[in-house]
Amino acid sequence: MSLHQSQSRADNANPPVIDIDRLILMANQIGDFFAPYPPIRRQEGLRNHLRTYWEPRMREALLAHIECGGKGLNADVIAAAQLLNQADAEQKGYYGPPKA
Amino acid sequence: MANPLKPENSIVTTCAYCGVGCSFKAETHKGRVVRMIPWKSGKANHGHSCVKGRFAFDYYNHPDRVRTPMIRRSIDDPWQEVSWETAIQYAASEFRRIQSQHGQRSIGAISSSRCTNEEIFLVQKLARAVMGNNNIDNCARICHSPTQFGMSATVGWGAASQHFDSILKADVILVVGVNLTEGHPVFGSLMKRRIREGAKLIVIDPRRTEMVTSPHCQATIHLALRPGTNVAVLDSIAHVVVREKLYNEAFVRGRCEWPEFEHWAALVADDRYSPEVIGPLAGLNPEDIRRVARLYAGGPNSAIYYGLGVTEHSQGSTGVMCLGNLALACGMLGREGVGVNPMRGQGNVQGGSCLGSWPHVFSGYRFVTDPEVRGSFERDWGVPLDDEPGLRLPNMFDAALTGHFRGMYIMGEDPVQSDPNQTHVIAAMRNMECVVLQDLFLNETSKYAHVFLPGSSSLEKEGTFTNAERRVNRVRKVVEPLAGYQDWEVVVMLMNAMGYPAKYAHAGEILDEVARLSPAYQGMSFPLLERIGSAQWPCDENAPEGTEVLHTVKFPRANGLGTFMLTEYVPTTERTNDQFPLLLTTGRILSQYNVGTQTRRTANSLWHPEDVLEINAEDAAVRGIHNDDWVSITSRFGTIRLRARLSARVNPGIVYTTFHHAKSKANIVTSDQSDWATNCPEYKVTAVEVLRIQPVLENVSANTEHLTEEVIA
Repeated sequence: MSLHQSQSRADNANPPVIDIDRLILMANQIGDFFAPYPPIRRQEGLRNHLRTYWEPRMREALLAHIECGGKGLNADVIAAAQLLNQADAEQKGYYGPPKA
Repeated sequence: MANPLKPENSIVTTCAYCGVGCSFKAETHKGRVVRMIPWKSGKANHGHSCVKGRFAFDYYNHPDRVRTPMIRRSIDDPWQEVSWETAIQYAASEFRRIQSQHGQRSIGAISSSRCTNEEIFLVQKLARAVMGNNNIDNCARICHSPTQFGMSATVGWGAASQHFDSILKADVILVVGVNLTEGHPVFGSLMKRRIREGAKLIVIDPRRTEMVTSPHCQATIHLALRPGTNVAVLDSIAHVVVREKLYNEAFVRGRCEWPEFEHWAALVADDRYSPEVIGPLAGLNPEDIRRVARLYAGGPNSAIYYGLGVTEHSQGSTGVMCLGNLALACGMLGREGVGVNPMRGQGNVQGGSCLGSWPHVFSGYRFVTDPEVRGSFERDWGVPLDDEPGLRLPNMFDAALTGHFRGMYIMGEDPVQSDPNQTHVIAAMRNMECVVLQDLFLNETSKYAHVFLPGSSSLEKEGTFTNAERRVNRVRKVVEPLAGYQDWEVVVMLMNAMGYPAKYAHAGEILDEVARLSPAYQGMSFPLLERIGSAQWPCDENAPEGTEVLHTVKFPRANGLGTFMLTEYVPTTERTNDQFPLLLTTGRILSQYNVGTQTRRTANSLWHPEDVLEINAEDAAVRGIHNDDWVSITSRFGTIRLRARLSARVNPGIVYTTFHHAKSKANIVTSDQSDWATNCPEYKVTAVEVLRIQPVLENVSANTEHLTEEVIA
């Protein structure tokens, strides 16, 4: 099951938990950090970070924004955020370099 | 001169101020603390002390101390004094009401590095086990969260690798973004002792601090870099280490992940990080960068000490990783005289970090998303726990503005004064329905609180602090709590009122629970600390009396190896332009502590009665500013007014101030930029303009709530 189906389906009418422009800025900053890694590790680094440090409603808002085109997000962030939806990407969080 | 008071009693306890955590004998006369005598058997301070710990203790008995709980329905209403029971019941029922209306995740809790380990651990439990979410954070979010992240990534634990005395074996001392003689004076003196014995000192700091030149302290090299260029400069030092093959290949091959080293070496060895490229960008002589690299790598023992000048940047975590990478590459870890050491501003920042006051990790830095770890807490606490990370402190404020976060319990913190972009924080506070504040005084945040629970100072309670060298030291009750309860007892009352049965006979039972659930604290207990005085974690069956130096055999990572992170320089978007041509950076001064809640209420204020703006004579001259003129400092976020002080400590283009006095409102101007990994605010870089203004009369401030302090007094 996707972890994004959790809490706040009932809150659809509400604005996202945090202003989307702020989330876009934060996500792109994370993308900038992982940019020097090769593409697969780059996306894995982003995925691990979002999964481990972002509150689920923040991830949900990011994914909802991507469903609407993901304007303002860099391409790696979009690819990595979509990895969050894959069940096999559910793995323990870790510190250190992104796993290959 | 003879002491006119003959103390009747004395109790050994730990200083409430900085992360050195000095031991003192607190002497009392007729139930009042009259003297703090530095204790010679204290393993952190060996009988030394500074002007804060020694003299600034009177705040505990200040007339401003609130001694009765208070509540109000609206922040526009006056406070109403009530019984403890009424206040606790009101807070509990409001929290539960908000959760029933807006969801389990609509409230959260904040603890402080001024709290004991036991309190920090309990506030975490309040959020996770009672509120039922992971919305728990602590003030290390806005100072050393990048340390936890960056050091965990490279060496495995977000903690100093050394004990303080290790510096006496260092040959080269690299100080980055920290002013040890002002912020951590007793350790600063120990460092000076080593410098007198011949150790070389490298200082990386935009200001000519006391570290650079003062009695017994002369830097061999000072890199007065432009604020915001830390990562570029540290990468450039690494560039020289790699290109000149100064690294310790045997150490890297034996103790680290060699392939990750190769990736890192390839990145920093690129021409774009050569000192000749980075020097001009950072305002440095390229040759100085090369000298620093050679001196550090040459050791033979080189030790890094760093502070908020590294962490409080949009690349704060990256900066910490740079230091980890550098120490690993040069083999400067795992023995005395070397290491990477974060210097902690507040007494229990290390404890706050260790004990799970974070939205993503339990005590011991273990992820809430890890089912085995979570299971161990669920079994001990008897309730299911949320498996998702919670909101971080700045995220809580962001979520308050969108209506998703409406209630907050705050212990010993003043986010309105200490957090960045004050206007934003105040708007968020105003949007909340129930803010419960537990503190000694009606601080700035109290203006936006609905419940005020009077706190107890560290002289009034039992517990432990963990200092910057991982030393767990006892805090002992010297006098009875002025408002009747120790802080941990208040948390226990709130937990029970919210429907979770909690019972502890004394604070030592909380430490026992910490030990049960946190591997590095496994051997800690009040009886151990009574017996041996203090102990540095990890303290377990392998090290029953604690550990002085970390990483001697392996690193606390799954494969036991240190590793390297790729640390590309990404300039902050906060930069100067025609409108805001100067860079403001912030810091501290010896006689005052943090937001000043305590020290401003002591005679220490005679040394530092107000915050001033340090400005270079050149920048002052072109603006017609003279010494002591009032000036306005304007950023994209707001304007503040301070008196100017012409100073040769800052280079042209840079201005500097402290944030000890609430009336200066320094955080009106600081930006909303934050660290990419942790959201630690970028306090150290704000683009501003400074203009001369008409003198500001005192007491002009139209803050009606200031009256509340006087009413209570």
